[in-house]
Amino acid sequence: MLIQRPALEPLRTAYRLSYLNDGQLDALQEATLTILEDVGVRFPSDKALAIFNAHGAKVEKTSQVVKFPRDLVFQALKTIPRYFTMAARLPDFDLHLQDNVTYFTTDGCGVETVELDTGHRRPSCKADVGMMARVADYLSSVAFYWPMVSAQDFGPAAPLHEMDASWNNTVKHVQSETIMGELPARYAVEMATILAGSRQELRRRPNFSLVVCTIAPLVQDKEGIEGALVLAEAGIPVGFLAMPTLGTTAPATMAGALAMADAEIISAALLMQLAAPGCPVFHSLMQAWADPLTGSYVSYPLDSRARYGVVEMAHHWGMPSLAACFGTDAHAPGTWQSAAEPALDTYLAGLVSPEIVTGMGLSETYTLLYPEQLLLDSDLYHRARYYLMALDINDETLALDAIHAVGPGGHFLGQKHTRQHMREAMVRSITQELDASSHYRDPHELARERVRWILENHHPEPLEETKQRELARILSAAEKELGNG
Amino acid sequence: MGSSETPPLQPIRPAYHVRILSDEQLGQLTAGVLQVLDEVGVHCPSVKAMNIYAEHGARVDFEKQVVRIPPDIVKKTMSCAPRFYRMGARSAAHDIQLDGKALYCATDGCGIETIDFTTHQRRNSTKDDVAKMARVADYLSSIGFYWPIVSAQDFPETAPLHELDAAFNNTVKHIQTETVMGAETARYAVKMARVIAGDNATMRLRPPLSLLVCCISPLALDKDGLESALVFAEAGLPVGFMSMATTGLTAPATLAGTVVIGDAEIISALVLIQMAVPGAPVFHSFMPGVMHPRTGGYLSSSREGSLFYPVGAEMAHRWGVPTLAGVFGTDGQIPGWESASEAASSLMLCALTGAETGSGLGLLESCTLLYPESILLDDDLYQRVRVEVAGLEVDPESLALDVIKDVGPRGSFLKHRHTRVNLRHRLYSDLTGQTTANGRLRDVVEVAREKINWILQNHQPQPLQAAQQNELNRILEAADHQIGG
Repeated sequence: MLIQRPALEPLRTAYRLSYLNDGQLDALQEATLTILEDVGVRFPSDKALAIFNAHGAKVEKTSQVVKFPRDLVFQALKTIPRYFTMAARLPDFDLHLQDNVTYFTTDGCGVETVELDTGHRRPSCKADVGMMARVADYLSSVAFYWPMVSAQDFGPAAPLHEMDASWNNTVKHVQSETIMGELPARYAVEMATILAGSRQELRRRPNFSLVVCTIAPLVQDKEGIEGALVLAEAGIPVGFLAMPTLGTTAPATMAGALAMADAEIISAALLMQLAAPGCPVFHSLMQAWADPLTGSYVSYPLDSRARYGVVEMAHHWGMPSLAACFGTDAHAPGTWQSAAEPALDTYLAGLVSPEIVTGMGLSETYTLLYPEQLLLDSDLYHRARYYLMALDINDETLALDAIHAVGPGGHFLGQKHTRQHMREAMVRSITQELDASSHYRDPHELARERVRWILENHHPEPLEETKQRELARILSAAEKELGNG
Repeated sequence: MGSSETPPLQPIRPAYHVRILSDEQLGQLTAGVLQVLDEVGVHCPSVKAMNIYAEHGARVDFEKQVVRIPPDIVKKTMSCAPRFYRMGARSAAHDIQLDGKALYCATDGCGIETIDFTTHQRRNSTKDDVAKMARVADYLSSIGFYWPIVSAQDFPETAPLHELDAAFNNTVKHIQTETVMGAETARYAVKMARVIAGDNATMRLRPPLSLLVCCISPLALDKDGLESALVFAEAGLPVGFMSMATTGLTAPATLAGTVVIGDAEIISALVLIQMAVPGAPVFHSFMPGVMHPRTGGYLSSSREGSLFYPVGAEMAHRWGVPTLAGVFGTDGQIPGWESASEAASSLMLCALTGAETGSGLGLLESCTLLYPESILLDDDLYQRVRVEVAGLEVDPESLALDVIKDVGPRGSFLKHRHTRVNLRHRLYSDLTGQTTANGRLRDVVEVAREKINWILQNHQPQPLQAAQQNELNRILEAADHQIGG
C-alpha cells in the first residue's frame, strides 16, 4: 500500500547572523594557506601524487607530503561550483542547493542497533539500513538519506549493500560515507547508472553522493581519496569531512583546530578540481573535543561556541557546506541529555544557512541506532524550522476586528477568526499529544509508536524489477571481486 | 558553618544579534496596539488608577471602568521611561546594570508544589523551600537575580512578604517578586527593601527589589497589582507588567493578534506608571501561551509559540524599555527529554535579540512544580547557550600555526605545551559524561541531585547583619498582625 509521502520541509531561514566576521574569516583562510604552503598534507596515493605533480604542487616523494603554492590553490578552487543538484529517484525530491534553504539528512554509519520490539542490542545489519530508509522516506524533515548503520552482515561489499538497501527503500537522494577505494567506487557508479538510465543522465542528476573523511592531523586516506576521484570524474558530488579533536589530533584552541582541518579539506577539494575541473564538491568540518581526564571523544562540551562558524568558512571558499546537527553523546533516546545536547543545533546552524546538514537519529556519539530516536530528533528539527520562519503580519493576522468584537475581559473562543486560525496557531509537538483521558503522552513512547506505524504503513514506490535485478547482479559481481568477508 | 563567597555573575553576552521583526512589522504591530488602546481600551478596576489616567488625558468611563488612551498620550508618556537602569543587590558586586549588552536570568517563581529535598515526595511549597533555593541560586553564576521560586504557603496571608524575608536572608543578589499585591502589602515590601538598602537614597540608586505584575487577558488590569506597582514606583523600585495572553482563548488565534493584545495590556499599565511617576524604572514582559485545541490547557512551548519570547523582547525595545523575556519554563512534568528540548531555544533566541533580563530557571509543569535538581539542569543549558553565543577567538595564540608546524602531518598534539595550557580552558559539562568508580556513565539527574545537596551543605551566603534581620522580623510581625490577623 502506498501512503501519501509528505513533501520535504527544509529550513527556510528568515534571519541570519555571522558567527565569524570578515577579519576572522580572512585570518582563518590565511592560516589555512600558510599550513598548505609550509606544512603540507600527506597523500599516501601514487595516483593523487601524480596529479599534484602534473599541476605544479611540491610533492615530496618519500614522505608523500604535498605542499601547495597559494597561487595553485586559488587557481584550482576557481572551478568549484557554488551550488549543484543532489538528485533523487523521483525528480520531486531533487535537492537544488541554494541560498537560505537547508536540507537535513539522517546520521550514518552506526555500528549497533537496539531492536524496536525486543529492546535487544546487537550489531547492525543491511535490513536495518533498509528499515530506516523507509522511515526517512516518510519524514518531511529528512531530505536525503545517509545509510544509518553499517551492513555488517556483508563483508568488503557492505558499502554497496548499504546503497542497495537505501535505493530500494527510499526515493530520496542517498549519500554514502563508506564507499572507499577505486574498485568499490566503480561498482557504486555502475549501480547509480542503472538507476539513472545513463552516464549522461547520472552526471546531470546525480542520485547519490559521497562523504570522505580526512585523517587529522593533515593526512588523507588512500582509499577515500581514490574512491572520490572515481566519483568526481563521473560527476557525482563528493565532500571532505575533517573531524579534528581538540587536544589530541588538533591544537587545543578552536581557531588552530579549524585552520588545520580546513587545510585537510581544501587540499582534497583541490585534488578533485585538478582531476575533474568543475566537479561538484562540498566542505564539511566537525570539530570534537578530547575529555582531558579520560581522553574520550566528546561532541558536546559546554563550550562549543562558533560550532557553525565552519559553515561560513566553507562559504568563504565559495563551497557548499555539510554541517552537523544532532549526534548526542547520550546513551538512550528520550533522556534529558539526548535533548539538551542537540536542541540548539538546528537553530544555530539555520542562522548561517548551510546547504546540507547531517545527521538525525543516532545515540552514543553517532554509533547506536534506536529507531525511535529519529522521530524525537525530527521533532526538535521542526521546532527550529518554525522558529526560523518569517512571521506573518497583516490585517488578517493582526485581528483588530476580533479584538474590537471581544473587548476587555471577554474571550476569543466564539470568534469566527479563532475557528479559522486555531489549527495553524497551535502546531502540535510530540510532547503535546493526548491520551484518551486527555493527559499528555510520553514522547518517547509516542516516538516508538510512530516508527511502528510508518514501518507498517509506508512502503515507498519500489524500484522497477529490471533495475532491482541489475543491482543484484552488480552486487554479486562486486562480492566476487572484492571478497565475501 | 561560616559564610562563603557568592561567585561572580556570568550573564550571557552575545557576540551576535538577530532581528526577528523588520521595522515595518514592528510599526504594524505598534500601530495595532495604539489603535486598540484608543478605541477598545482596557478594563481598570482601580479608582486610584482611573483618576491618574483621567488627569493625564485618557478617556475614562468610570462606570464601566474602561480606560481609552489616545495615541499621542501613549507615545508621550512612554518617552519618559528609562531605557536602562540598575537593579541593585545586597552585595554591590552583584548589582545588575542593564545596558543592552548582556542578558541576566532569574529563577522561575511562584511554584506551588515541591518535590521534597529529602523524602522526594511531592508536597505543597513552603517558606523554607524559598530559602533553600535562594541559597542554591546564590551559588549559581547563571542566576543574575532571584524570584522566590515557590509560594510560602505556610504563611497564607503574608506569604509574599515571607518569601522576601526568606530571599533577602539567603542570597546577596537582587530579588524580584511577582506576588506582592495591594498597596498595603507593597508598603511593607518597600520597608523591607529599605532595610536591605540602608536608606531611601541608596534604595533609589541601587534598588534591591523589583516587582512584576500580571495583566489579565484580554485587555484588563488587576486592581491590587496596579496599586502595588504604584507604591513600588513611588519608592523608586523597578516595576514590570507581564501579559500571558493565550492564543485562541484570551487572544486571537493568530500570532500577530496575540502580540497586539498582550502588548496593549502591558503598555496601558506602563503608561499609568509613567503618568504617576515620570521616569520610573519599568520593564515589559510578554509571555503568552498557546491554548491546546483539545483541552484548552495552557502551553508555554508549542512548536511555533516559542517565537513569542524573542518577539516580546523586540516589542519592548521598540517602546524603549527593557524586557523580562520568557526563557526556560517547560511544560514537562519530570526533568527529561521534554524539559531539555523546550528550554534552551527560547533562551538563545532571546539572548540574540538583546533581551536584558529573563525568567526563569528551575520549575517544571508549566512553572508550577519545583524539582530542586532541575535548576542545575537548566543551569547546564544556560552555560551552553552562554558560551555558544560568546564569539570565537582568532588570534596568533589560538590559531597555533607554530604548534601545527611542530606537530606536522600524522603527529599528536597531546604532548605539546600549547595543548596542556589550552585544553584546561575548554569547558565541559559537570553533569553529562560523569562516570562512576568502575567507569560507568552516571544519570545526569542523579548527578544534579547530588550537586544540589552539596550546595546546600556547603554554600552559606554572607548573612544579613543581625540588626537588619531584627528589622525584617519586626516588619513581618507588624504585617502578620495587620494583614494576617
